Amino acid sequence: MSEPLHPSARTTPVAGRGLSYSVQRRYVVFMMWLIARLLQAASTADRAIRREVVDLPEGFSFSMRVRSGGPALIMRKVGDRLGTVPTSSTARPALAFEFKHLAHAFLVLSFQESTPQAFANDRLAIDGEFPSAMKVLRCLNRMQAVVLPKFVARRALKSYPSIGLLEKLTLAARIYGRFVIELLTRGPK
Amino acid sequence: MTRHYFEFSSPVKMVAGFRALEHIPFEMETRSVSRPMIVSDKGVVAAGLVDAVIEAIVSGNGQVGPVFDDVPPDSSMEAVEAGACIYLESGCDAIIAVGGGSVMDTAKAMNIMATEGGGDPRRFAGYNNLKHRLNPFVAIPTTAGTGSEVTAISVIKDAKAGVKTFFFSQFLLPDVAVLDPRMTLKLPPMMTAATAMDAMTHAVEAYTCLAKNPLSDTYAEAAVRRISAWLAPVLENPEDAAGRLALAEAAAMAGIAFSNSPVGLVHALAHTVGAMYGVHHGAANSIFLPGVLEFNMPACREQLGELLLYLAGSEEYAATPAEGRAEASIARIVALKQHAYELCGLPRTLAETGKVPREALPDIAARSLDDGTMVMNPVDVTYEDALAVLERAWE
Repeated sequence: MSEPLHPSARTTPVAGRGLSYSVQRRYVVFMMWLIARLLQAASTADRAIRREVVDLPEGFSFSMRVRSGGPALIMRKVGDRLGTVPTSSTARPALAFEFKHLAHAFLVLSFQESTPQAFANDRLAIDGEFPSAMKVLRCLNRMQAVVLPKFVARRALKSYPSIGLLEKLTLAARIYGRFVIELLTRGPK
Repeated sequence: MTRHYFEFSSPVKMVAGFRALEHIPFEMETRSVSRPMIVSDKGVVAAGLVDAVIEAIVSGNGQVGPVFDDVPPDSSMEAVEAGACIYLESGCDAIIAVGGGSVMDTAKAMNIMATEGGGDPRRFAGYNNLKHRLNPFVAIPTTAGTGSEVTAISVIKDAKAGVKTFFFSQFLLPDVAVLDPRMTLKLPPMMTAATAMDAMTHAVEAYTCLAKNPLSDTYAEAAVRRISAWLAPVLENPEDAAGRLALAEAAAMAGIAFSNSPVGLVHALAHTVGAMYGVHHGAANSIFLPGVLEFNMPACREQLGELLLYLAGSEEYAATPAEGRAEASIARIVALKQHAYELCGLPRTLAETGKVPREALPDIAARSLDDGTMVMNPVDVTYEDALAVLERAWE
């Protein structure tokens, strides 16, 4: 956390004016759609993520959402992988990651604030069983480390894992490949 | 524009010090309380502490309703339901909790049912599922460690469901916390040391984990200063009322600190060895604290160095080069643990607890990764990292 202890300790100031809420909303909606599909693909393509998914309870579901009916994604464990669930579903997921405001979701999903820092800043809350929440968080962290360029992933994560370039590129290719196949066979829904 | 942001809340009225119990009738009257139920456990009742509270209230022209003393050591949903039934049947209008963390957690959950008029408390489980204020709640801790008297959380063992159910809401915060040195004067030395090191861990983790902020830091610093100064004198002279009060204040301040800057890896490991092998939570925290600080040091060297001022005082702080203060802080905590071991036998290592088999460490490491407190640890923890910290804590 950047803390203004003394004026001399200041780092580069952050731009004051942000994007309009409507633009932020469209971006967050798109990113939630993308994250769900990439995680679905990663749960098939990446062994480390699959191991975590296997340990989740049967029929487990979780959502990531913006409070008060904002943009959301919902995923459910189907067999040994994760699948997307329409956000119109009325079933209450066992676990929810909830952003207090659209702007907070935008901060995290545009990699301006890491997920752990968003938890620390009370912008993002967990509602549900922690053991499952920790498994899902490890899946999300792993996926970000693999599919994002290192300089972006470093902004999103507490620490960048020790993963070789060749391994990263191979895994990223498998995940994006799976993502494209799913997109072509099932469509964007 | 800066990215700096934090939240801080601490609305609990602190009533602390000499003859603090005698302030309870006034606090009841100003909240229109006429028939409080006392929630406690049999050990606290046998120690005469509930009688002391009742005497203080009655002598101030206050009244007391039934005493519910069936709270088990690890809390239970059955106790919550049974206590709430007695509360409603007896026409009570407030709860006075007298005890340690388990009593506080149970009484908080009872208050949900008591306010809502009964029913299944599980429907309010989870994060922020209470929507309005609860009935008045007075917390009187009889240990100086958990900080439950100032926290907004209640964890209840639900044997039927085989889980621990947690409730988190600002409405669970007590209205009043009463810290009276008479309440902790008879606490055995081992328990005194374990609970004080629990509070020390709350403060140090609040100071070094991700949600640290200027206000939680202030409470953490004050707590660390008191525990460093008073733990050994109180262990040497358990009847030292001034020291007892200082430790009780420190536990409450550490509780406020970690309520606003949650704890990390030390607690993840302590929760796991507590759940698997019944290691006392404070003792486990004490065992893991130095090793975890060494592990976390790359992310919190500066904060850890600043803590030396509160752990060792201004002279040692000034005499220690800035680049060596973090290590000196850890050395101070290790020395405090050693002192407590010599004075009362507080275990320094997992082996000394006599409860944890070494071959269980891999399982403990794996389970610890699923503890929610990992989120706030300043460094990401892998299975290998957790196992390495456990191996170091073994002996």
